[in-house]
Amino acid sequence: MSWQRGARAALIFVLLVGMHYFVRPLLGWRVSMDFLVIAVLLVAVRVRPGVAALIGFGIGLIADSLSPQAFGASALSMTLVGFSASWLKAVFFSDNVVLHAFFFFVGKWAFDIIYVIAERNRGLYEMATQLVLWSPLAAALTAVTGVIVLLMFRSMLESPSS
Amino acid sequence: MARAVRSGSRADSALLAACALLSLLATVLPVPIREAIASSLRRTVVAPLLMLQQRAERVRSAFASRDADASRLDSLVLRNNELGEMAAENERLRGLLSLGRHLRWGFVPAQALHGQGIGDEHSLTLTVGEAAGVRVRSAVVAHDGLIGQVTAVDPRTSTVIIWSHPDFRASAMAVDGSAFGIVRPHLGEEPERSLLELRGVAFRDALKPGTRITTSGLGGVFPRGIPVGVVLGEVKTSEAWSRTYLVRPAVRPPDVTDVMILSPQRVSTPLDSVWTSPTTAEGAVQRVVQRVVQAGDSLESLIAAAAAAVQARQRQADSIATAPLAPLPDAAVPESAAARAAARTATTDSVRRATSPTTRRDSLRRRP
Repeated sequence: MSWQRGARAALIFVLLVGMHYFVRPLLGWRVSMDFLVIAVLLVAVRVRPGVAALIGFGIGLIADSLSPQAFGASALSMTLVGFSASWLKAVFFSDNVVLHAFFFFVGKWAFDIIYVIAERNRGLYEMATQLVLWSPLAAALTAVTGVIVLLMFRSMLESPSS
Repeated sequence: MARAVRSGSRADSALLAACALLSLLATVLPVPIREAIASSLRRTVVAPLLMLQQRAERVRSAFASRDADASRLDSLVLRNNELGEMAAENERLRGLLSLGRHLRWGFVPAQALHGQGIGDEHSLTLTVGEAAGVRVRSAVVAHDGLIGQVTAVDPRTSTVIIWSHPDFRASAMAVDGSAFGIVRPHLGEEPERSLLELRGVAFRDALKPGTRITTSGLGGVFPRGIPVGVVLGEVKTSEAWSRTYLVRPAVRPPDVTDVMILSPQRVSTPLDSVWTSPTTAEGAVQRVVQRVVQAGDSLESLIAAAAAAVQARQRQADSIATAPLAPLPDAAVPESAAARAAARTATTDSVRRATSPTTRRDSLRRRP
């Protein structure tokens, strides 16, 4: 990856992280998109799995700093999601929009599953409700948002294989 | 090449393992240490993001509160309008109560219903009728002044023509009684249609704009002293020996909702004092001025009466002093001229005492 491509990816990454802390509170929806997951997934497919894991860990720590009760849960989730996305990039990344959406959907849902398990603060019923009801909805919204982001920044985000 | 790939793969696995281990470690850290790490992150790396989040929250709450503020403002405006109407109604009812208090007797309160048909703008239907003592030709007044005259009476309702009706006429005068005429509606185009005319004023009686016009009590329909309006100016007409004035009515018919119907017995009783004692400050001042003038008038008449009495007694004393004394019976005749002179002096003194200015002033002062 050239430094220009890296700079552009980093710019979009920072932009998405900023949007996570601006757009989500602005909307205030019960089910909301996760820009951090989109950012980690978009960057993960462009770097090595180890670096993706490190980036995921860093972003997870940032998210954890705002919820100290579940400190470490986001870091672990993002680490695993980032590493997996980078490792599976050959499988999932293509120019197909549906596959992109599926990629974001699975990434967000996996993040929520790992987070809820690692958090260990919820009861069984609440955990099930979160994972079966709210998480898929949030994952779907994240997938739609991720696709929109991809389409908006298509020119800046070249295919990682190119 | 294969070794490089293998070593890279090992490095990735090592990074993954390290990150996962650190994450797991973070989840089991004691709360104070977790809080310390989170706090240091919030103060450094996350600070700009937190600021962004705060701003977003502020924008969102501003949006949310904008709707709430708008609805609150709408409610306040609505409430304010209602309060204005209530205040106006309150003022109207207070005026009517005040009018009733000053009229004291010989009136029937009623509610005025405005017609909606063509031509109904010149008449009102009142909610009382013959059963309440209303009679045809009874005068109808509001707290501001003259409204009209009853033209038809049913047992429970009555119909009134208001002053804007083409057939309406009332004998009127300037409030000081300096000029008389007949009031009738001004049948011009709008907006002058909502004015009155004072016709038939003698040519010598010029009225200044602002002169108040009241009913004169002539004609047997309207008692004297009901406010009709205020002179706006003279209207040029073909009548050579009389003047016509435009009058701004005291009462606007669309504003009338509550009225008083005067009984026929009130026609012969002047109502000058009823409308000169309103609750307003201006009215209060006018009332005080009127009382002072009345007091001055009564003082003048008392002084004149006292002066007349003094003159009469003086004349009587003079006549006593100059008249030759008639022969009296022996028992009553004083024995000497000195005794007669003493008697004359005593009479004069008593007359002087009785008519002395001190006595007169005191007696005047003691009067209420």
